[in-house]
Amino acid sequence: MTLLSVQNLTKTFQTPSGPVHAVRDVSFEVERGECLAVVGESGSGKTTLANMILGILGATSGEIRFDGATLPAKRGPVHRRAIQFVQQNPLSALNPKRNIGASVRLGLDTYAIGPRADRWLKVEEALEEVGLPREMRQRAPSSLSGGQRQRVGIARALACEPELVVLDEPTSALDVLVQARVLRLLNDLRARKKLTYVFITHDLAVVRNVADRVAVFKAGQLVELGRTEQIFSAPEHPYTRSLIGAVPVVDDAELELRNKLAEGT
Amino acid sequence: MTRALRIIAANPLSLTGLILVLAIVLAALFAPWIAPFPTHNSAVVDFAYANSAPNGRNWMGTDLVGRDIFSRILYAYRISLGLGIVVLIIATPIGTIVGLLAGYLGGWTESVLMRLVDVFLSIPPLVLAIAVLGVLEPTLTNAMIAVTVMWWPWYARLVYSIARSEREEGYVLAAEVIGAPTTHIAFREILPNCLPAIITKMTLDMGFVIIIASSLSFLGLGVQPPTPDLGSMVAEGARYLPDSWWMTVFPGLAILFAVFGFNLLGDGLRDVLGADE
Amino acid sequence: MTHLLDIRDLHLAFKGLSGLTEVLHGIDLSIAAGERVALVGESGSGKSVTARIVLGLLQEMRNARVTGRVAFDGADVMTMAQKDRAALRGTEMSMIFQDPTSSLNPTFTIGNQFAEVMRRRDPKLDQAACDARATEMLTEVSIPDPGRVLANYPFQLSGGMNQRVMIAMALVNNPKLLLADEPGTALDVSVQAQTLRLMHDLVEKHHTAVLFISHNLGVVREFADRVYVIYRGRIVETGPTDAIFHSPGHAYTRALMDAVPRITGAGLPAVPEVSDDFLAPMVRHDGGAS
Repeated sequence: MTLLSVQNLTKTFQTPSGPVHAVRDVSFEVERGECLAVVGESGSGKTTLANMILGILGATSGEIRFDGATLPAKRGPVHRRAIQFVQQNPLSALNPKRNIGASVRLGLDTYAIGPRADRWLKVEEALEEVGLPREMRQRAPSSLSGGQRQRVGIARALACEPELVVLDEPTSALDVLVQARVLRLLNDLRARKKLTYVFITHDLAVVRNVADRVAVFKAGQLVELGRTEQIFSAPEHPYTRSLIGAVPVVDDAELELRNKLAEGT
Repeated sequence: MTRALRIIAANPLSLTGLILVLAIVLAALFAPWIAPFPTHNSAVVDFAYANSAPNGRNWMGTDLVGRDIFSRILYAYRISLGLGIVVLIIATPIGTIVGLLAGYLGGWTESVLMRLVDVFLSIPPLVLAIAVLGVLEPTLTNAMIAVTVMWWPWYARLVYSIARSEREEGYVLAAEVIGAPTTHIAFREILPNCLPAIITKMTLDMGFVIIIASSLSFLGLGVQPPTPDLGSMVAEGARYLPDSWWMTVFPGLAILFAVFGFNLLGDGLRDVLGADE
Repeated sequence: MTHLLDIRDLHLAFKGLSGLTEVLHGIDLSIAAGERVALVGESGSGKSVTARIVLGLLQEMRNARVTGRVAFDGADVMTMAQKDRAALRGTEMSMIFQDPTSSLNPTFTIGNQFAEVMRRRDPKLDQAACDARATEMLTEVSIPDPGRVLANYPFQLSGGMNQRVMIAMALVNNPKLLLADEPGTALDVSVQAQTLRLMHDLVEKHHTAVLFISHNLGVVREFADRVYVIYRGRIVETGPTDAIFHSPGHAYTRALMDAVPRITGAGLPAVPEVSDDFLAPMVRHDGGAS
């Protein structure tokens, strides 16, 4: 069943040096419960696309449908709540002057989720769910590590009880050991809470292991869309091949696969 | 709190500021008990001791009608500090709200509010205050109004620039995606991040407000005699320089210490609050 | 054999309000002339401060306490006068940073910045001589139309171009040692791959030794001859790149390797728990230049 459907979506920015087509006539669908990876380099339009899905940016033309209904330009609370967001930089994503609990509680207060008296309890449950101790709600963001902050960001998004989560490079600022744990957590949460992910990243090795399908973007256009195994066994578009060819790899099997795919044979 | 004190104590300049400010505040608070001649804060005369140089009875000498200068300085500090506090308590929230709304909302609100702020900032502060007092009657209340009118735009400008950069931070975006109300984002998310700068500026400004208020009364536009005021004491004494130097020098030093103290303390607070993150 | 850079028992501690914090606990590291050595570790492991000590930057900080021996080209960097250390930087050793665009000065043209760097070695060089040499270096990093680039400001160039300019500038004085701190991490993957290949070829050609600091094992594998793995201020494993990648001996190195997602799709990487084994004694693979 389709949860999110993007139809002929276009975003053009007017700049002093003429119009810039950040996203050009893009169409794709995301199934309920699926993880769709959106891959591209800077200037590919992947962030603009994310902002349109989140309702931060309006589209120039085309439409976004969610659960069968067209999303209006001005989102109502039902849709805002259903589509949540995890950011790349865990350092700036949390307000340095508010404690962890207050940040996680924001969604609960905004949507009046649960009786007021129970919300701190719900905050603690949300923290526990992402593998953080309950007492952490009293702490300031500055006392947390990067990985812990990213978990708080995830808890904050999930406290709104969303259906779709847009993840913008959620692990690229993290160390590799921490990244492994956060990726696992995201995978577990998706299964447990029946979430749907739009996973934006430039890291193809991550994509290979978390995504069901992959959408490759280049200069605002969707150049290849396919199941993950298919993209990593027989990439069709030369740009996809060049992206795979640039991945830094650590073991020999990877090296072999990469060189084979990059050559396009 | 202990951490803040440790940071201030580690810097001799900040520590000097803290001690000066504490001394001035205590002197002002307890003026009626400390002052050797508490009645000299009004129109009393004591011609027997008129125009005497500093001595064991009058540590800082007396003025033309024999009032003790030391006592009058203590009372003048009460007026100056009170005026500074009132001005900042009114000017800071106005400036903060204007700056916050302009900085966070942007667009039309930003253009209108900040152009208004620019208009105020383009007039030299003292000229603006003199103009206000020219229209109104020169009294203590009106002096406060005049100084407040010229003061809030600086807070608007300060908060505006912080809010504008905070607007780009991830936590603001996160609150927007969650759908939190604009007032929540402006006052609960962004404002706390402006507070350290606001508090630092308020401390620094206490000194400057005292200078401006003294300048106005020096020109005869502020607090009116017989109420003691540092500015008018300097103005009065200046007519008898250099013979009766104590009439000018001690009130002048009093202004200097106040400004100096608040400035040093403000710099110290900047270290404390800036190092917070 | 003699080393170009030889670090012995390097300790570093920072003085804070709450006392001393030890960051490096006795590091041994050496680089031969012309050798490419990587220092791999996570954030906070002490890899960047090690580079700063080699550059002589931390010795001058009031709240840093550095002990141990750092010998560069026969001279002792630790006991050297401040101004001699400063004279080494940009001439005998140079540095490339993570974000190329912010490490170039936005208010000067590329040509001016090249000239400034070259005059550190020879103050009497005139602009024409500088431009000629800069053009030569820019051609070496495959920048088309170097004349135009010299007249440009950094913001007029792309991130990838600025990275190449940084590399050219770092090598223009023919340094003996290049310190590269996470070069290209701020760039797109394909641009990063290109610039690293370029840097690899260039240092090989000029016989420049490199201390390559990175958290990215894949990048290290492609660039370095020899690897040091650092964990919480201690070197836990060292050896030739091939040995480290084919038979990692230390628990921490193995954990790092296991945590990297593979494009062959072995599923989500294992989540190794931080264990006491990470603090086990150093594993040394023989071979390579040291």
